[in-house]
Amino acid sequence: MEIDREDGRTPNQLRPLACSRNILHRPHGSASWSQGDTKVLAAVYGPKAGTKKNENPEKACFELIWKPKSGQIGKAEKEYEMILKRTIQSICVLTVNPNTTTSVIIQVVHDDGSLLPCAINAACAALVDAGIPMKHLAVAICCCLADNGYVVLDPNKLEEKKMTAFAYLVFPNTTLSVLPEGSSEGEPVEHGLITSVTYGVMSVDDYFLCVENGRAATASLSAFIRKNFQQGQRDSSKSG
Amino acid sequence: MASKPGAATSTYSPKIVARTRPPIFKDSDLDWTRPDGRGFHQCRPALLQTGAVSSASGSAYAEFGNTKVIVSVFGPRESKKAMVYSDVGRLNCNVSYTTFASPSAGQGTDHKEYSSMLHKALEGVIMTETFPKTTVDVFALVLESGGSDLPVVISCASLALVDAGIMMYDLITAVSVSCIGKSLMIDPVTEEEGCEDGSFTMTCMPSRYEITQLTITGEWTTPNINEAMQLCLDACSKLGEIMRDCLKQAASASDE
Amino acid sequence: MGLPDSSQDLSSEMEVDAFRKIFPLRFFERHLSESLRPDGRPLGKARDTIVNLGLVSSADGSALAKIGYTTMLAAIRMEVMTPSTDSPDEGCIAVEFHMPPICSPTVRPGRPADAAPVISKRLLDTISSCNMIDLKELCLVSGKAAWMGYLDIYCLDADGALFDAALLSAVAAFSNLQIPVVALNDNGRIVAITGEEKQDNASITEKEAVNKERRKLTLKNIPFSLTCILHKNYILADPTAEEESIMDTLVTVVLDSSDQIVSFNKSGGNALAHTSAIKSCVELAKKRGNELKQILGEMDVD
Repeated sequence: MEIDREDGRTPNQLRPLACSRNILHRPHGSASWSQGDTKVLAAVYGPKAGTKKNENPEKACFELIWKPKSGQIGKAEKEYEMILKRTIQSICVLTVNPNTTTSVIIQVVHDDGSLLPCAINAACAALVDAGIPMKHLAVAICCCLADNGYVVLDPNKLEEKKMTAFAYLVFPNTTLSVLPEGSSEGEPVEHGLITSVTYGVMSVDDYFLCVENGRAATASLSAFIRKNFQQGQRDSSKSG
Repeated sequence: MASKPGAATSTYSPKIVARTRPPIFKDSDLDWTRPDGRGFHQCRPALLQTGAVSSASGSAYAEFGNTKVIVSVFGPRESKKAMVYSDVGRLNCNVSYTTFASPSAGQGTDHKEYSSMLHKALEGVIMTETFPKTTVDVFALVLESGGSDLPVVISCASLALVDAGIMMYDLITAVSVSCIGKSLMIDPVTEEEGCEDGSFTMTCMPSRYEITQLTITGEWTTPNINEAMQLCLDACSKLGEIMRDCLKQAASASDE
Repeated sequence: MGLPDSSQDLSSEMEVDAFRKIFPLRFFERHLSESLRPDGRPLGKARDTIVNLGLVSSADGSALAKIGYTTMLAAIRMEVMTPSTDSPDEGCIAVEFHMPPICSPTVRPGRPADAAPVISKRLLDTISSCNMIDLKELCLVSGKAAWMGYLDIYCLDADGALFDAALLSAVAAFSNLQIPVVALNDNGRIVAITGEEKQDNASITEKEAVNKERRKLTLKNIPFSLTCILHKNYILADPTAEEESIMDTLVTVVLDSSDQIVSFNKSGGNALAHTSAIKSCVELAKKRGNELKQILGEMDVD
């Protein structure tokens, strides 16, 4: 199963990841996340008092602002805002800070494919940095379906254009639990999909193939996040 | 993706919109007919229906020829604009058009003038003291514009208000008359409105025989105004009957 | 955490409507445990669906779709544009989804609903990615003129499953679309030919008529969608607005004529979609697709 990728990666290989937190002064939490040349900055302000109209004041609310690299926001960015907002709401504990609004601002620094997954990962890191209570982390990945039926992970912009279909998938990260393995019924939590967005036509089997490959890749992503956060923790405790 | 964003390209409609006065409306008054074959003093058949929108407190759909309108009423509910305390209720009106409402490619937008006209036509008939501190929202959408849009919106709004159970002194009915040359035509269609010399719109309470709004534009002689007024009052009371029947039917249907 | 228990006790004493307002989730869960929904539907069943064609006389194609109370009015206007140099023999489709203030108490004039641009985008993605329309069919004069189809969808009544109803009305409007007869005039513009004019100057128009007769588009691949709610182990097909507001995990599956996935959309929500749930949603969508095919098929006969 060989497939040529422009940059010589294997189909399941991700681009080099980089994440740094607490990079901005003013916001309560911030992070930058890059996958290859795609880079996104995220900043979190809040929780601030009060909720906006049409929101439930009994819960913590989130507001998402997407800033594109240039120009004004269009329908695509509105859709990204909505997907990100819902994803964040599902991973955060909403009952701890009722009647508050937390703003998450996403600034696209460079778009070279897999933009939405990159933004979700960045937002997640920024939320952790801001100390917003969360149930678990979300790990996002982009799976592409090539013409010959192979699944390619984390495509760059060129590859995205050539693919017949692609799916943005978000999974919960692997949790370290005191419970013995297999004690929970059914599938483990990290196998459940938080968010799925697809473009292009694919067969049902291909979709499941995407989900499976994505799931496998998120394990390594999630390990990277954990290591990175622990690293940051140690650094800050040393300096503090 | 196969389709490109089309916002940048400019397009035009292949249909030619005639803006000239059609020959049938020339001064030889007697031998011409109206575009839909009605008599001068004959209204279009009205189709009225309440309860068109389930999520609204009250709603109505009206179809007069090609003019199709939906009105939804929300409330009485919390006043959203943080305004000062008031011991009477507020009325908030909005009229908008769909993008395909008229054949000449018009952008579907809010119609500010009609919104304020609707507000003025309704405020005299609603008992605002029955819902202090709160707001009643009356929103209208013109699905298709076929002439006499505002009178249809007003009549439909009054049905929707009744459906929402808002207290009113009476029903509200509105009818317009166009003056072309020497003739008066009731309930004009778009083509007639396009070449009229003057327009006359009356909103009244049929049972109380009172007028809440009267708009006259264009060229009118006094006898013509008198005749138009009589025509409108007559048509308004007939329309009132039709609306009453519609409400009775809706009530008896919900009883069963 | 004493809340659920206290509601349990209250349920026997309170009036049903009050219980529904105060403990909505409890109210629904009591129904779900009986495999029934408050409106009497079984969990996997969609609401009654009606489609009417050609209601808007000023448009070239139109349709009204009703799923339960959710009502969508779609209309297509055809205009002429100069095609882009990349694809000189292709037309274009633009989709706009509107939520006027009449449709729901949450929409206010002057402030467009957040959901509207997102649904517009998804509709356009769905229609273009499943190749329902051959854009080459919209070509008039290669490189000079092509059709631009403006599809406007108005939500007249919002009671859940907005995307499903919007897509259904869009598909029906395209099936109703009649491309008008047009000719190229001396100034290089495309003009419509009405019946009378054709007789008057038949010699000119006959020769230059670009589109000789009113024709319909061939819809190659028709997408159908179904929105489901995931709540605990339950899957509820075709939710109402009330159900959507109480249980927040929505999954929208769009399948095409050959049961391939055009879109599998889930944005957040409390419940996670496991493989089994994904499979059941796809199964339900397949069933719903067949139902909708039948409804659209019956229309074509008339």
